Amino acid sequence: MLLFRLMNFIIGYVTITVRGEAPEKFINMAAARGIFLWDIARPGEHVMRASIRLNAIRPLRHIARRTRCRFHITRRVGLPFLWMRLLHRRALACGAILFVLGLYLLSSFVWTIEVTGNNRVSSREILSVASAAGLNRGMLKWNLDCSAVEKALKEKLPAISWAGVYLKGTKVTIEIVEKNIPGEKDQSPAHIVAVKEGIIKEILVFNGRAVVKEGDTVVPGQVLISGILLPETAEQEQQAGSESRENQPAPPRPVYVHAAGIVRARVWYEGYGEVPLVEKGERFTGRNVTRVCMKIKDREIILAGPARIPFSRYREQTDVKKLPSWRNLHLPVELVISKYREVESYRLVRDRAEARCVAGERALQAVQEQLPQGARVVHKQLDELAVKSPENLVRVKAFVESLEEIGTVKNFVPEEEPGIEVPAPLSQP
Amino acid sequence: MTWREWKKKLSELLEIPNDVMLNLPRIVLMGNLQAFIENHRGILEYTPRIVRIGIEEGELEITGENLILRNILPDEICVEGMIKTITFK
Repeated sequence: MLLFRLMNFIIGYVTITVRGEAPEKFINMAAARGIFLWDIARPGEHVMRASIRLNAIRPLRHIARRTRCRFHITRRVGLPFLWMRLLHRRALACGAILFVLGLYLLSSFVWTIEVTGNNRVSSREILSVASAAGLNRGMLKWNLDCSAVEKALKEKLPAISWAGVYLKGTKVTIEIVEKNIPGEKDQSPAHIVAVKEGIIKEILVFNGRAVVKEGDTVVPGQVLISGILLPETAEQEQQAGSESRENQPAPPRPVYVHAAGIVRARVWYEGYGEVPLVEKGERFTGRNVTRVCMKIKDREIILAGPARIPFSRYREQTDVKKLPSWRNLHLPVELVISKYREVESYRLVRDRAEARCVAGERALQAVQEQLPQGARVVHKQLDELAVKSPENLVRVKAFVESLEEIGTVKNFVPEEEPGIEVPAPLSQP
Repeated sequence: MTWREWKKKLSELLEIPNDVMLNLPRIVLMGNLQAFIENHRGILEYTPRIVRIGIEEGELEITGENLILRNILPDEICVEGMIKTITFK
């Protein structure tokens, strides 16, 4: 039935009103001739209404004459009539055609180029190479040869191992996979020095000579693993004492290495947190409205959202979207999306235990910010600071002990004079 | 025995449906809402309360209210509305 109606709409149909002595005759004759009639109704004595397809109108005239009936068309439905109406409204038709044409035309350009996956190679560099290979913004889509651009990127940029260029709509995505180049190993003479104060917990030497041992207290800048390897004799000599050094004429020269190793130490941190018993402030209520405006020069047109902000106090967050400018042409049209979030003032009263708990959390949070990556907290302690005069404030101090690596590489210039190699100052800051 | 009865006997003998052999109308009723009449001989009278349809031998009268002819094809008619009676004359 749906198909039948659709067919009727496409071909077009009319509702006719038949007047005459015997409209039944008219209907019979039409049906006998194979003319399809439907929705036949009889509103009056000598009147009959029926629907008929557009292509069957012509033979109907003949039938009307033979049955002495008259008919006239009361309603016209279907595509041919819509088409006729469209022909009368030239401007509308032109506009529709222009719209489709414009859509097609504008979507046949490359409007945006996006580079993803690059860390070391800059996007600017990639884009300039792509531009030389024939990928520019504003170019026609079908002039783009993705594989040629990919090839050029792979050839011109040695730092990338793979490049993919995809066209999706009006956007070109350049996907880059960079080569993983192993860095040159630094072999210049260096010590491992402490970055912070602590007690050495464990020391593991890959290269160099350990100057401190487990249990030692170190200060920042102190050498932990020395990059100066003293020859066997020199070390013995040193152990023997300084007076014997003068007797030895030419001690063998020390070897300078790039020290490496892991030094873990116990490090202490302190953090402080305070919480007032009565807290006042502002907070977000969670209610917000978003307004989207179109800004044309100085006029703002609200596309969505309320004209007036329904909150008495609010924070505003504005995001402006602009069209990309081309050459010296800047379109004075921008989209302004503002988000208004309601705030309210609040007053919070805590009891002392609760406040202590929150202050402790804040103090630990303060410590957490100081802790480096990979530090393991061994021990933590919270102390409330008691003040003589009672006040509406709970102060908590946190002590945290952590186990972490404190060594860092520090280069040094080896002393050229052969006689003087003094390891002693190295073990001191 | 009339010619008609002979034909009826013959159709029973050969197991041919009667409507084919005797040119009888085939009427399909959908409750009291719709009636399909196949093998008709045209409309004799049509008003919203009465529809008379010509058949091979005689006529078929459908009475009811707000009757309309849903469609007409050379050998099929669909009558819609509140059907009350169907009478053979």
